[in-house]
Amino acid sequence: MAGLKHFLLRVLTTLLLLAVPVLGVWTFVKAEEWGLWFPPIVSSYGAGIDNLFYVILWMVTVTFVGTELLLVWFVFRYSKRDPTRAVYTHGNHTLELVWTAIPALLMIFVAFSQMEAWSDVKLNFPEEGPYTVEKPLMEVYASQFDWRVRYPDAQGNFQGADVIEVPYDITVPADTKVVFRLKSRDVLHSFFVPVFRLKQDAVPGMEIPVWFEATQPGDYDLICAELCGWGHYKMAGRIHVLPKDEFDTWLAAKRAALYATE
Amino acid sequence: MIERCHRSAALLAAAALSSLACRFEPKVPELRYSLNRPAVDKNPDLAGDLGAQAQLEGALELMFGTPAGPRYLAAAEWLEGGFDPNYWGEDHVKADEAGWSALVASNRAAYRQQLAAIRAGEFDALDRPRFADDLWARWQALRADIPAGGPDAEYLTTADGQKVTWREEALFRFENYYPTLANSASFYSNQCYHCHGAEGGGNGSTSSFLEPRPRDYRKGVFKFTALKGKARPRHEDLFRVLTEGIYTTAMPSFRRFTDAQLHGLVDYVRLLAIRGETEGLLVSFYAPEEGLNFDNVRENYDLVVERWREASEFFITYAGEVPEPTSERIAHGRALFTTAGEKGGANCVSCHGPDGRGGGVSAWEPGKEGKEYAKDEWGNQIQPRDLTRGVFRFGRRPIDLFRRIYAGINGTPMPEHFGMTISENGAQRTLNESDLWDLVFFVRTLSTHSAVASHDGGHEREAK
Repeated sequence: MAGLKHFLLRVLTTLLLLAVPVLGVWTFVKAEEWGLWFPPIVSSYGAGIDNLFYVILWMVTVTFVGTELLLVWFVFRYSKRDPTRAVYTHGNHTLELVWTAIPALLMIFVAFSQMEAWSDVKLNFPEEGPYTVEKPLMEVYASQFDWRVRYPDAQGNFQGADVIEVPYDITVPADTKVVFRLKSRDVLHSFFVPVFRLKQDAVPGMEIPVWFEATQPGDYDLICAELCGWGHYKMAGRIHVLPKDEFDTWLAAKRAALYATE
Repeated sequence: MIERCHRSAALLAAAALSSLACRFEPKVPELRYSLNRPAVDKNPDLAGDLGAQAQLEGALELMFGTPAGPRYLAAAEWLEGGFDPNYWGEDHVKADEAGWSALVASNRAAYRQQLAAIRAGEFDALDRPRFADDLWARWQALRADIPAGGPDAEYLTTADGQKVTWREEALFRFENYYPTLANSASFYSNQCYHCHGAEGGGNGSTSSFLEPRPRDYRKGVFKFTALKGKARPRHEDLFRVLTEGIYTTAMPSFRRFTDAQLHGLVDYVRLLAIRGETEGLLVSFYAPEEGLNFDNVRENYDLVVERWREASEFFITYAGEVPEPTSERIAHGRALFTTAGEKGGANCVSCHGPDGRGGGVSAWEPGKEGKEYAKDEWGNQIQPRDLTRGVFRFGRRPIDLFRRIYAGINGTPMPEHFGMTISENGAQRTLNESDLWDLVFFVRTLSTHSAVASHDGGHEREAK
């Protein structure tokens, strides 16, 4: 009788423990259906960033499921009442080498596989096209607690009287490599556009070039991703991606409106 | 047995605590208006008279309600004249066709989920809109009132005889939503209260961390308007501050909210300002022999409301185009800017300094001599704008700078320049629009070439 009770307890514990990997994997399988997965990709390099995530996700999944199953099996197997005395083992040199070498190799793999995506986003700025690091489309100013964008005057100056300043709404052309300079007026902020998979800190005293190519016209969220003070939660913005020709019309209208007298 | 009891009791207590924690929702404290203490203390007759203070509080509550239910006490002759202060903003925005259609467009974008659900007939799927409790209450009342013939049955007939179905009416209410004063007050308590305070005294809990300090509405003085004669701001002026924010201050842009919500905030800010101004007048003129009576309260209330109603008459219009910024104009502007008042110039140099960086003698000299610095209306030390930085707080367009120089900045020593007497070539005359444009063009060059005006002595503060 006592033996049966003990066996049932072993099975129950094992099943409970088994629920951890099963539910863990299940949430990831269903996440997209439940609307908990990534927002759509609207930038040229977004897919590359997501791939990095998926590579690491698969590596972690295999390791997680494997170790969990082993753990579950051990819990079931060694919870048996057994009169055998435990044996002292001094370890296994080969085994230790293997479980050090495999993670090291995986780390090296991760390090090398991310290089292209990193350089795509942070290093390979467009050298041709309408906007380059020397001649950016706009400057984005982060300050406690709003975003402001400044477009240059018709001569390309950012410090003239005829620059255009807009808070909150950042308008950019679609299907164009857009370069802008990111500045902060006070503390650290972070320019984060989830659909672009773009995140870049704004550092006071630095002019940081950033680039992206939006692939679809639409309105997208911009948020601050670096805790910047008590109003951090309200530091939001909006990216308006317009088709190329509409953007040109918009900018021309903005420039003309500078000299309106209404 | 007893041990077991203890253990289950502890477990129960832990469960109760955790369920409490789950139900915890942070709430804005229930606000109440209090009297403007520093102002009350200045009037010795009122400061010691608690009865009179209570009477004043009662009178103010009668006129303006409470933060939970703010409303104007409307005079019968206002209503007869077609002016209802409780629908001040709504009527004002409706009168402007472009403004109202922008509002409807912004409602359509904000409530697209609700509009789609109403069109599809999925009334359970409607999301509760944020900061729009009044809209939600109206929707629920409407939903309980679906006619027997279904959503597409006739529901009401408008004033001009059009028949409207229930569904059309529901869509109309979301698209044409304009918040009530009470709803705007609760929105204010969420977004503005922590800096501007319950009465708009600029004394909220985060205000002491800020430089410059948040605006105290209770004087009715707002720095940035497009109006001459130090008039009270128009609806549009306050709305513009809300949408653009004031750069280089803690006042952010509130564009992430809908037009209707921001118009509603303007309404509530105006109520707070009118309340504070009325209070200020009643407090400063309080005399025990007269006391508070209907006539003097009414007189002051009328006076203040009238000031706000006539604001748009003071709008600075400029017919025609912005003139060409020729080098003669810039040179003339520079001469006006850099010539002191006693020599017949426009005297900008005395505050903004010879290089336009805000280091002028009248702003900084008193401190050097151990005297008080010049103060603004709210008692803060003035800081003349550094014009070389290219930061212009109420717009950088030529017309914005034109209006700024024309009318000055309310509550600060920056005076109204239009009509100011100057002497040029030995003859006295007043500044006209053309002179103002010259000044505008000169000021605009400062932020482009910061060294242009530093010809004599440079920065005053650096010289110190």
